[in-house]
Amino acid sequence: MNHTFTLPNSGHNFDAKASKLGMWLFLYTELLLFGGLFLVYMVYRYLNQEAFLEASYELNVWMGTINTVVLLTSSMTVAMSITALQKGDKKLSLILLWVTIAAALVFLVIKYFEWSAKFEHGLFPGMEHYDSLQLGERLYFYLYFFMTGLHALHVIVGGVFILVVVKKIGNGSVNKERYSLLENSGLYWHLVDLVWIYLFPLFYLIH
Amino acid sequence: MENTHQEEHISSYAEHFGTWVALIMLTFMTVFVSVYGSGLQTLTVAMALLIASVKATVVGLYFMHLKYDKKMYRLMMVVVMALFTFFLFMVILDYLTR
Amino acid sequence: MAEVTVAHPNFFQVKKGLFSWIFTLDHKRIGLLYLYSVGSFFLVGLTLGLLMRFELLNPGRDLVEPQTYNQMFTLHGVIMIFLFIIPSIPAVFGNFFLPLLIGTDDVAFPRLNLFSWWLYVLGALFALSTLVFGDGPADTGWTFYAPYSVNTTTNVTTSVLAAFILGFSSILTGLNFIVTIHRLRTPKMGFNQMPLFAWSLYATSWIQLLATPVIGITLLMIVAERVFGVGLFDPSIGGDPILYQHMFWIYSHPAVYIMALPAMGIVSEIIPTFAQRTIFGYKAIAYSSMAIAFIGYFVWGHHMFTSGMSGPAAIIFSILTFMVAIPTAIKVFNWVATLYKGSISIEVPLLFALAFIFNFLIGGLTGLVLGALAADVHVHDTYFVVGHFHYVMFGGTGFAFMGAMHYWFPKIWGRMYNKLWANIAFAFIFIGFNVLYFPMFILGIMGMPRRYYDYLPEFHPLNMISTYGSWILATGIIIMIVNLIVSRKNGPKADANPWNGITLEWQTTSPPPLHNFDKMPEIPEGGPYNYPNAMNE
Repeated sequence: MNHTFTLPNSGHNFDAKASKLGMWLFLYTELLLFGGLFLVYMVYRYLNQEAFLEASYELNVWMGTINTVVLLTSSMTVAMSITALQKGDKKLSLILLWVTIAAALVFLVIKYFEWSAKFEHGLFPGMEHYDSLQLGERLYFYLYFFMTGLHALHVIVGGVFILVVVKKIGNGSVNKERYSLLENSGLYWHLVDLVWIYLFPLFYLIH
Repeated sequence: MENTHQEEHISSYAEHFGTWVALIMLTFMTVFVSVYGSGLQTLTVAMALLIASVKATVVGLYFMHLKYDKKMYRLMMVVVMALFTFFLFMVILDYLTR
Repeated sequence: MAEVTVAHPNFFQVKKGLFSWIFTLDHKRIGLLYLYSVGSFFLVGLTLGLLMRFELLNPGRDLVEPQTYNQMFTLHGVIMIFLFIIPSIPAVFGNFFLPLLIGTDDVAFPRLNLFSWWLYVLGALFALSTLVFGDGPADTGWTFYAPYSVNTTTNVTTSVLAAFILGFSSILTGLNFIVTIHRLRTPKMGFNQMPLFAWSLYATSWIQLLATPVIGITLLMIVAERVFGVGLFDPSIGGDPILYQHMFWIYSHPAVYIMALPAMGIVSEIIPTFAQRTIFGYKAIAYSSMAIAFIGYFVWGHHMFTSGMSGPAAIIFSILTFMVAIPTAIKVFNWVATLYKGSISIEVPLLFALAFIFNFLIGGLTGLVLGALAADVHVHDTYFVVGHFHYVMFGGTGFAFMGAMHYWFPKIWGRMYNKLWANIAFAFIFIGFNVLYFPMFILGIMGMPRRYYDYLPEFHPLNMISTYGSWILATGIIIMIVNLIVSRKNGPKADANPWNGITLEWQTTSPPPLHNFDKMPEIPEGGPYNYPNAMNE
């Protein structure tokens, strides 16, 4: 290619600010995706207040609380890992990211136990106990599975994202000068946290 | 054109830790209100949502760096949240006035 | 910054072969990929529309069974909305011309851009696959209203997933454009020196970004409801179908502006060029795009006046709906004021732009009839509505699309089309369009409901006229397409700037080189449309 002139504002340049802006825009779409579910939750809670209250006693507040703490802690470690990389401490940055991934796994394991408890009680849509519930409680559990399920999916995606970043820090393509990807994976992880911050009270704490 | 990360604010470890402590305290506060304040009904729910919003703001400002980013990011976030609040408002208005 | 005198190969010549196209990162090629795919689906949708009009030529059965007719109008809607009109102007002309207009060489995320196109293809395959298995395409109408969409045995799940994937594609395109506009404008070009098409794409992209996720999650809920057999929206199991309508229209009303705003941007490009005059009220047009995008979020309820929504909510939605008319009217006044005392050359693109204003006015004013709560109750779900949205969508966006095609054709292919045939095609299209859709307003007022394959005898004459109109329109479109396809290779060579435009895309060669500009583009002094004033010439 006999190409001698390049625009200073080329779309093929590395542009940290563009990646960050793009990530934020993507986060808005994620917020509104969950927003749609919160909208549904609001309406059905308004229409079935007693049933939602009744059904919420089925959830284990302490498990929810532990998971909240786990997620908040992982949010801190991922934020610290950015600080570490910015200061050039690659090793600490990696350790903190591994802690974050571990926290994601802990969260999922606890979630797994919670879900299996519900399955044992037959509370999943289509199971016997579920079908015998009143309509409002069914909506509650349906929303519970849908919303925490979608959230868990985001935990997995976020975890994989961070894993990719770990690899890239390892081989040096994400480093002290170019850490957009780490920053973006952090932002994504905080989003997962943000959603949980609202899911937790709305399902566990509405007594 | 400025394409790299220069001049970016670097948050300290202490600040992140402090943020974490605040968030954990808020979490226990909301659990406490819920477990020991049951029977208050609407009030507990309002408290829970209020505390959740405070937590979300803290995460946004400190962990997500909004406090140190350009004003544009904060502005966009506020617009998006306002828009979503409006959706909630108009839909619930329909149900409240039926 | 070295001045380069060697002629670079243009973006067609750089590489050849199928793979150099479908895996390209060049925004111009991606724009053309969209053009070919979007154009093909337009022809499919057009064929379905013609078949429906043929069925309605006479009362009773002419061609198809009622159930087939139901599936036909659903597929027509899904294809025309999700596969044609939403991606049409932003994905085709936005991709091709946004970087050129703001003086850069690509969008901010070229790979993401290619990924969007592939998602589009995947979504299209999903939509078409409904034809070949099970009970055939969905028969719910493109709105997929619950609870029927939850219960029908036709392929709703696949159609809904298609819409979901296409929505994703649309979000990513919007995201890409916003970042491109923020980060890649040529030095010295502030937001207020951007061409108006870029402004309208900016507004559109925000709608794509912030409205589409809501429909995404709603459609997922429909899928979950069909798969697990439990209901959020089915009233027999505790759900509320009106909530579905709220969520559907929270997206789908702003989506109307995804379709309309880029079209307005095109018109704002064409009119100053062919009037050779500074656009009147640049800022008013630019900011009214943002205002339309903004207010557009708050009016979705006017689709639901007869659905059982509460009275107070309906009244508020009706008032808000009227507010959209304000920024829209501002644009129309500004376009007309731009023409005043301009040195107008009546070329085909200008004809399409003027036809846009004419059609869009009719579409917009009938929209006010529908937005008025009391009037809407009478004409809701009649042919009045069908006439209204075809005037806005086809008469508006469709005409702007064809106008853009004729405006930028010489830039894309470096050739000029046959202007005589282009004029003939325009005449057929404009006349056919109005003959086809205008009778629908009268039919609607008379009370003919939409979405039936049959009608009462008193509606016969007007339906016949409408069907004849569809044949005139189709003839015009075929003439236009043949003319463009033939001219693409065989038309006379076009200059780099055949219309004397002063926006940046005219400063490079036609077709543009791979990297768009061989030297720094120069932004015109005193604003993007600062033509040497026509009056002084």
